[in-house]
Amino acid sequence: MLRLIIRRILMAVPILIGVSIIVFLLMSVVPGDPEAGLVPDDATPAERAAIRHQLGLDQPLPIRYVHWAVSALHGDLGYSTLRRREVSDLLQQAWGNTFVLAAVSAIFGIALGLLLGYLAGTRRGKIVDRVVSIFSLGGLSIPSFFLAILLLGVLSGQLRLFPSGGATFDEGWGVAIQSLVLPVLSGAMITMAITARVTRAAIVDVFSADFVETLRAKGLTEFGVRMHVLRNAISPVLTTSGVQIGALLGGSVLVETIFRWPGMGLLLYTAISTRDLEVVQGTTLVIALTFVIINLVVDLVQAAIDPRVRGAVS
Amino acid sequence: MTEIPENTMINTTEPGLAVAPPPVEPPSATLPERPLMELLNVSKTFTVRSGGKRLTLSAVDGVSLRVREGKTLGIVGESGCGKSTLARVITGLHSATSGEMIFDRAQIPATGKRPKDVVQQMQMVFQDPSSALNPRATVGESIAFPLRVQGMSRKEVDARVTKVISDVGLPASYSGSYPHQLSGGQRQRVNIARALALQPRMVVLDEAVSALDKSIQAQVLNLLTDLQRDYNLTYVFISHDLNVVEYISDEVVVLYLGQVVEHAPAKELWENPQHPYTKLLLSSIPSMDPDDSTRDQPLDKDSSEIPSAINPPSGCRFRTRCPMAMEICAQQAPAPIETSDGHLVACHLYTEGSQAAA
Amino acid sequence: MTETFVPPLLPKSFGAGVDPVSRAAAERRKEEWNAAVESVKAQSFWAETGKRFLRNRTGVVAAAIVVALALSAILAPLISPYDPLIGQPVDRLKDIGTPGHILGTDEQGRDMLSRILFGGRLSLLAGFVPTVAAAVIGTLIGVVAGMVRGVVGTVLMRFMDMLYAFPAILLAIAVGSALGAGLTNTIIAVTIVFIPPVARVAESSTRRVVVQEFIEAARLSGASRARIAWSQILPNVLNDIIVYASGLVGVAMIIAASLSFLGLGSAPPAPEWGYMLNSLRGELFTTPLVTIVPGFFIFLTSVAFNLASDALREAMDSRL
Repeated sequence: MLRLIIRRILMAVPILIGVSIIVFLLMSVVPGDPEAGLVPDDATPAERAAIRHQLGLDQPLPIRYVHWAVSALHGDLGYSTLRRREVSDLLQQAWGNTFVLAAVSAIFGIALGLLLGYLAGTRRGKIVDRVVSIFSLGGLSIPSFFLAILLLGVLSGQLRLFPSGGATFDEGWGVAIQSLVLPVLSGAMITMAITARVTRAAIVDVFSADFVETLRAKGLTEFGVRMHVLRNAISPVLTTSGVQIGALLGGSVLVETIFRWPGMGLLLYTAISTRDLEVVQGTTLVIALTFVIINLVVDLVQAAIDPRVRGAVS
Repeated sequence: MTEIPENTMINTTEPGLAVAPPPVEPPSATLPERPLMELLNVSKTFTVRSGGKRLTLSAVDGVSLRVREGKTLGIVGESGCGKSTLARVITGLHSATSGEMIFDRAQIPATGKRPKDVVQQMQMVFQDPSSALNPRATVGESIAFPLRVQGMSRKEVDARVTKVISDVGLPASYSGSYPHQLSGGQRQRVNIARALALQPRMVVLDEAVSALDKSIQAQVLNLLTDLQRDYNLTYVFISHDLNVVEYISDEVVVLYLGQVVEHAPAKELWENPQHPYTKLLLSSIPSMDPDDSTRDQPLDKDSSEIPSAINPPSGCRFRTRCPMAMEICAQQAPAPIETSDGHLVACHLYTEGSQAAA
Repeated sequence: MTETFVPPLLPKSFGAGVDPVSRAAAERRKEEWNAAVESVKAQSFWAETGKRFLRNRTGVVAAAIVVALALSAILAPLISPYDPLIGQPVDRLKDIGTPGHILGTDEQGRDMLSRILFGGRLSLLAGFVPTVAAAVIGTLIGVVAGMVRGVVGTVLMRFMDMLYAFPAILLAIAVGSALGAGLTNTIIAVTIVFIPPVARVAESSTRRVVVQEFIEAARLSGASRARIAWSQILPNVLNDIIVYASGLVGVAMIIAASLSFLGLGSAPPAPEWGYMLNSLRGELFTTPLVTIVPGFFIFLTSVAFNLASDALREAMDSRL
C-alpha cells in the first residue's frame, strides 16, 4: 500500500512538470512584448534591448523556463508591474479565498449529490428518480455563470436576501458567510446535479449485479443491502468528485467575477483583462497544480477504498 | 490472446546439477508421407516484469515435432502448458526465440515478415468463436478480408467466399449476417471458412471446438475430417480434451510446461501410454477439466496443480506431481527415448538401465 | 439483440444417403431451410441504431429541437427581423414582449431576437467544429497509442495526461489568452481541451479490441498494421468515440460561451451569447428578463444536445 502511494506520487511529478511547461509555453506565445510595461515610450532600441537583457528575455526559451521554474519553487512567481506587488503575494490571499469557496461548494455539492443520487438509484422509476434526473440534466447543461447570474438576480436583486458583493473574512464572519452563500449555491448546485447523476448510474449498475441477490437470499435487510451497494458504487463517484472539484476551481474565474469574490478566479480575470501576464502565468500555474494535487489525493483515497483500483496499479 | 500466458516456466537449469535435454529428432519411424512441417528445438521465451524484477518465462522449450502432409497431429496438454503459444509460434504470430522451423522443405525465418506463400499456405482457427470474428463486419466481409489483403479481384473474392461458406455447411445467404446473429457452432464454422479461404495446405486449430456444446462439437469435428479428406489438408489440432484429440488425430504430442513429454501415433498412445503424465491424463477422463483437481491416484505431492512459472521444478518438470518420481528426476532432465516404432517418451523410467524399462 | 429465428445447421454431408428417395427428401428439407434463412435479414448497425433511437421519445424531441435551432441559425439572415449589429440608443433595454421586439433590446438598442439568431451560428460552430476536430485527432492519437504501445504509446498518453491535468475551463482560458480573442482561437482552444479525453477513450477502447482473436486472424492474413488499424480496429472503436463525443457538443458550447463571457471569444459587436450575457449583466437589477435571454438560450441548446446525445448513447449501447 505504501508502495502504491509512493508510486502514484512519483507518477504525479512528471505531470506537475508538464503542467508547468505548458503554462510557460502558453504564456510565451502571447502576442506582444512582455517588457512593454517597463519600457518608457521614448526609449531607444538600445535601451529597450538593455531592459530585455536585464529581464533575461533575450535568452532561449528552455533556459527562461528553467529560471522561472526554479524561482517558482522558491515561491517567487514574478512581479506584477501593474499592481506593484509580488505575484505570490497576490496569490497568497486569493488562494485561501478560492479554497474556502471551492471547498464549501464541493462539500455541499458532493454530499447532497450522493444523497439525491442514492435516493434516485434505489427508487428507480418513481417520482423521486424522475425529479432527480431532470434536476441532473439541468445542472449538467447550465453554464455556471448563467446560474450565478440567475441566483444573483433572483435572490439578491428581487428578493434582496443576500448581498451582491464579495467580502472577505476581515469584515467579520457574519458578513463573509452571507456573501458566501450565493457563490457557493451556484457552484454546489451544479456539482450536486452531476454527482447525483453519476451516483444514480453507479447504484443502478451495482444493484443489478448478482451478488445483491445473494445478499438478499442470505437474509440481509434491505437497508443492509443498500449499504453494501453504496459502498461498491462509491468508486466512480470519487472519480467524478475529482473532476468536479477541478470544474469548481476552473469555474472560479466565472463565479468569482460575477460575485466579486476576491479569489484566484477574480485575480485571473482581472489579470487577463489588464494583460498582466506575470499574474496570469502564476495564477494559472497555481490553480492547475492545486488541481493535480487534489486529484492525486482522490486517487489515493479511491485506491484505499476500492481494492480493484489497487490491483490495477501494481 | 494475452501476451504472456500464466504459469509458464523459466528456462533455467541449476548450475552443476541438471543438464538440459539435448535436442532430438522426432520419432524416426519410417514415414512414407513426407513431413510438411518440422519444428527443430523451437523455444519461445517472454520477458516479464514482476514486482520490479525482470524474469524470463519460457513458454515453449526445445520442442521438436514433425507433421506429415494430409495427416493430423494432435497436441494435448493442460492450460498453461504452452500449447497456445506453440500454435502462435507455428503460424508466425509470435516469433520463435530459438530453433528452426521448416515448412515444405524451406526454412521459415524466425522473425520478421513471412514470405507471402507461407502466409497463404498456413492458417489458423481460433478458440473463441465470439472474439475470433470482427463484430462489426459481416460474415462475408470477415472471410473476404484475407483474400483482399492478398490482392484478389472482387469477382474472385466473391466466388471464393461463396464456395467456402457452402464448404462448411452454411447457407450462402449467411454471408450478409453479422456474428451476433449466429450461434456458437455457426460462428466456428465461419472461422473455419475464413481459414480455408486462402486455400492453405496446413491449418492450426487452437482449441477449435472447446467452446462448443458437445453435440455441436461432433458436427464440427465431422466437418473438419470431411474437409481434410476433400482438400488434403494437414491439421495441427491443439486441445486439452483427450476425447476430441483421440478422435481426430493420427499422431499425438503430449505437452507439459512447454516441453514434449511423449509423442506417439494416436492409437498407440491410448493403448500404451508410457509417460506418467499421459497416464494421469488418460485416467482422469471423462472429467478432463483443468480446474477440476479430483484424481484417482492420491498424490502426496505439493499440489495437484501445474507448477508456477516463476519457480519450475528442477530436472524433470513433472516430478512434483509424479507418483513414480525418483531421485534422479530432481537432478537431471530426462532425454527423450524412442521406446518403440514412432513412440517417444521423455522419462527416466525408460532410460537405459532403469528398472521400469520393460 | 435482434435474434429472430435462426434455423439449425446444415451438416455438410446432409442426407448423403445413397438412395434417391432419401436424397430427394434431403433436398426438399434443404430448400425449406434456405427459405427460412432468407427471413433472417442482416441489418447494418446504423439502421439498428437509428430504429432504436427513434423509439426513444425524449431523444426524438431533443433531436427535433436541435434541428430547429440549427435551422434557425443557418437561416438567420432570412428570418431575422432586424440587423443584429445596428441599434439606436433610444431603443435601449426594451423589455420582453415589446411590440416589434419580442425579446427586447440590448443596452445599445439592438434587437435581441436578431442577435440571438445570429449568435446561434457562432454557438453552433463553436460547439460542433471543436468536437469533430478533437474526435478525429484524439482518435488518431489514441488508436496509435493503443496499437503501438511501448515507448511511443506511453509518451503520447503521458503528454495527453499533462493536458488532461488542467481543469477544462482553465486550459481553455489559458490557451484563449495565449492565442487572443476571436472565434477561430476559441475553436482551437476548445479543440485542444477535448483532444486528451477523446484520446483516452480511444486508447482504452483500442487496447480492449487489440487483444481480441480476430485481430490475430487479421495479422495472419498478412495485413499491414495500418490496414488492421483502419479496417478492423477503427470500426470497433468508433462506437465508444461517437458515444463520448456526442456528449461533448454541449460542453463545447458552454466553454466557448464562457470564454466569450470573459472577453476571450468573438470580438464585439459579434452577437455571441456568452458575450451578450456579460455585457448585459450590469443591467441585471433593472431589466432582469432581457439580461437573462442569452443565458437562457445557451441553456436550452445545451439541454437539447445533452438529451439527444443521451438518447444516442442508449441507442448505441444496448447492442453487443
